[in-house]
Amino acid sequence: MKTTYTPLMAVLTAAVLFTGAACSSSDSPEQATDPDEKVSLTYWTWAPNMDEVTAAWNAKNPNIQVTVNKQDGGDPAVTKLLTAIKAGSGAPDIMQAEYQKIPTLVSSDALADIAGEVGSVKDRFPAGTWNGVTLGSEAVYAVPQDSGPLMFFYRSDVFEKNGLQAPKTWDDYAAAAEKIHKANPKQYLGTFSATDAGLFTGLAQQAGASWWGVNGDAWSVKIDEPATRKVASYWGGLVEKGVIDNKPMYTPEWNAALNDGTQVGWVSAVWAPGVLEGSAKDTKGKWKAAAMPQWDAAAPKTGAWGGSAVGVTTQSKHKKQAAQFIAWLNSDPDALKLLATEANVYPAANDAAGVLTSPPAFFSDQPDFYAIAGEASKQLAPFTYGPNVNVAYSAFNDAFGKAAESKKAAAFTESLTTMQKTTVDDLKNTGFTVAG
Amino acid sequence: MSLITEAAPVEVATPKPPAPRRRKAGGTPYAFLAPALILFAAFLAAPIVYAGYLSLRKVKVSGLGLGSKARTEVWAGFDNYARSLSDPDFLPSVGRIGAYGLIVVPTMLGLALLFALLLDANRTRAGISRVARVSIFLPYAVPAVVASLLWGFLYLPRVSPITDAFEAVGLTAPNLLSSDLTLWAVANIAIWGGTGFNMIVIYTALKAVPSSLYESARIDGASELSIAWRIKIPIVMPSLVMTFVFSLIATLQVFAEPMTLRPLANTISTTWTPLMKVYRDAFARNDLYAAAATSVVIALATFILSFGFLKLVGRRAFDQED
Amino acid sequence: MQKSKRSVSATILLVLGAVYCLIPVLWVLIASSKSSSELFSTFTLAPSTHLWDNIVDLNDYRDGLYWRWMANTALYAGVGAAASTLVSAMAGYALAKFDFRGKSFVFNLILAGVLVPGVLLAIPQYLLLAEAGMTNTYWAVLLPSFISPYGIYLARIFAAASIPTEILEASRIDGSSEWRTFAAVVLPMMRTGLVTVFLFQFVAVWNNFMLPYIMLGDDRLYPITVGLNGLLNQGANQPSMYTSVVTGALISIVPLIALFLTLQRYWQVDLAAGGVKA
Repeated sequence: MKTTYTPLMAVLTAAVLFTGAACSSSDSPEQATDPDEKVSLTYWTWAPNMDEVTAAWNAKNPNIQVTVNKQDGGDPAVTKLLTAIKAGSGAPDIMQAEYQKIPTLVSSDALADIAGEVGSVKDRFPAGTWNGVTLGSEAVYAVPQDSGPLMFFYRSDVFEKNGLQAPKTWDDYAAAAEKIHKANPKQYLGTFSATDAGLFTGLAQQAGASWWGVNGDAWSVKIDEPATRKVASYWGGLVEKGVIDNKPMYTPEWNAALNDGTQVGWVSAVWAPGVLEGSAKDTKGKWKAAAMPQWDAAAPKTGAWGGSAVGVTTQSKHKKQAAQFIAWLNSDPDALKLLATEANVYPAANDAAGVLTSPPAFFSDQPDFYAIAGEASKQLAPFTYGPNVNVAYSAFNDAFGKAAESKKAAAFTESLTTMQKTTVDDLKNTGFTVAG
Repeated sequence: MSLITEAAPVEVATPKPPAPRRRKAGGTPYAFLAPALILFAAFLAAPIVYAGYLSLRKVKVSGLGLGSKARTEVWAGFDNYARSLSDPDFLPSVGRIGAYGLIVVPTMLGLALLFALLLDANRTRAGISRVARVSIFLPYAVPAVVASLLWGFLYLPRVSPITDAFEAVGLTAPNLLSSDLTLWAVANIAIWGGTGFNMIVIYTALKAVPSSLYESARIDGASELSIAWRIKIPIVMPSLVMTFVFSLIATLQVFAEPMTLRPLANTISTTWTPLMKVYRDAFARNDLYAAAATSVVIALATFILSFGFLKLVGRRAFDQED
Repeated sequence: MQKSKRSVSATILLVLGAVYCLIPVLWVLIASSKSSSELFSTFTLAPSTHLWDNIVDLNDYRDGLYWRWMANTALYAGVGAAASTLVSAMAGYALAKFDFRGKSFVFNLILAGVLVPGVLLAIPQYLLLAEAGMTNTYWAVLLPSFISPYGIYLARIFAAASIPTEILEASRIDGSSEWRTFAAVVLPMMRTGLVTVFLFQFVAVWNNFMLPYIMLGDDRLYPITVGLNGLLNQGANQPSMYTSVVTGALISIVPLIALFLTLQRYWQVDLAAGGVKA
């Protein structure tokens, strides 16, 4: 009895001791008073290799040390931040946030106004992008980091074989989709993905939609409006015809389809080369980038998918130092270079052109890649995000998921009615004044 | 993990001596219970009470809601409950887990009972039977998130060996993630993950039955099937009842499997099960209050169903008399 | 027992069951040997030779973060299960072997606890731990795992079944304190049952996703489930790391399989034992 019992007790005791030893790492920054004081800042970001970028800052700023906490992507990071804000503790000092999340974060009092510290870098960014971090007010809630102008990517070999050229208009795109699918029923020029609300938003933006708006003290919601309806019925029509696939993107299946040449085009954004390189390795050298197909070729426009800014949270005890860091990170030429090469992002700053001299590796034989991207950035249509983008997006997932599965064009436009109603109801329920 | 070296199966079900007098010892039992009760209060009771409190609150914004003090929390009465229960997505999600439960619970327990009886009947070579037992139990070791991921890969038509198998014999494979089959696809993951555990529970109960109970029937020429049906199953009935209750609870809580499969298909909505709705309200919609209200409703439904079932089968809840 | 005949149909059924349960495991074993361009293009069940490359890739991800996730998981599951076993043993013993006021209330409370979904608790637990400033630490995941109503329920069954009251009386007559009786007499007698409780809780914590997902912001504290989920969902502008996810999934289930094989005999649970009086 004795011998068998001892080891169990030993394990239990050891376990308890181990717990004591292992659980002492909790970092909450102390109150800042002395300017020369050493501060350590935490930075939530999901961009790859951001540790390399902060290392350059940390080497030059021994008193302001930044630690990266890698996040799983934009949505989980915002979710965690909002929960931490609600709880009153647990937020990082510095936070990466996609542009569409900024109104939500500001509305939840998660981002601090850093106009005093970073106001001076305003001129280094395109006016439209800067507007996304001020929400049209005097305050500045974040500094733009990267942008994601929409572009079109296609398999040049397949286009050549079918005697096609990069589509200039959406009509061209529809014709190309039909031709390619007819020639080879396994091939699709694209897919309508009901899991990527961000892309659909960008497409609506290109068509001239702006889903939210401000009327004095009231919000307006304009999802179920002609511009977005045009986009929805266009894609619904292609899906109903069967010339465009209806499966979600970012699945193993979709990866396989890109790689084996059954998805031969992708409406995506400037960051697409990184994804293609990971997902469609075998097709290297066969892809080409082009400007977006247009609704009106005479007045070219584009939308955005992705793109983010970096802000200081209201829970940070060192807002000044944190703001210094993000101003450097997003506007200093050295930092921009690191962002482009290490973190693989397309910097939002005007100076970005200077650091993006050679095309991304996956498009190495297309020297004009960044020229096309730069042109696209200038054509970004204005768009206002509201304080409940997530509600609209999850309504998109559900309604368009059903519509895509049904393959009925009518269901696509009906989905917009659902999105509109869900979004308005949510605003009203939270107590926002909703105009119209 | 080297602490366990010798064999010592838990013979918990062997007939016990008549219930002896228990000890009456002042504060002692409370001292032994103290850590459990403190932890229970901190990590179960307090969060539940807090969820109840949140379910009666809501947030109010003023103006555009963009200033730093634009949001205040106010009492909401039962607004959140009314909203949560009248949400057009709520009833369908309840109906869906009802159907899911009807698939999963009988199939899983049926398979578990079948395998347990087969193992207990001892009609297979010992080696095969041991390998089968371990193999069937193995999925219990795979976290639901990982299991759903693996099955997800196996379901997607393009990359699935199931498709390959169908095509090899000249058939068109069904799309397992289409609207007709999604429920079955999710149910399969739960059945795969849960059968082994329930099998072990039932098998343990079977092993505790003294074989003298059915040796005489065997000598009388009764078939294994009729021994199983007339003697073994009635004896393990209490275990079956408990596995049923725990499976029922697990059914009401199905979450990780559909959540992991959702990005792969159009057919799983963000409110596919009640718990997914809780998750969506709390995280996608940032509405903790509605999420709390739905949580309270789910918790109450779980209590009512499981205690109700135990009442129905005529047992005192988890019979606490020895 | 030896005299019972072999049955072909019984064998076939068992083998079918085993095959069904092994298919996904077999798939992950094969898939993890493929390079990323082979993963979705070559025949699903045709193995390749890149397992080692995939392990190296996984190892290179953020300087071997994967191994840290494994170590974290072992810490969460090991420490959490050990502490919860001790807590359960004490509570189960008290419930099984003592008469006291409020006993049935406490027992019903524990039972109600068994029924509460962990997912529902995660958010309020986060908010409460945040009050204590403990989110994003090891404690945030460990502390909630110290209490397992199910473990207490099992421990009570084991205590009731394996500790004869006479022995407790004898120990008391010897003048041994209650604590000493528990440590020297009760724990050894409950030993095998407690191993089962430990294994249960170990698996429960190992498989837990929601609690650490919500509690932790720093990926150096992640357990394996949350880490793998993160590898899979990298956000739209990065490719999913399928080969690393698949290889990571394979490696992550190896320790549990080993645990199962070595401790097979402890997986014997009669849920209804407390109630069987037949």
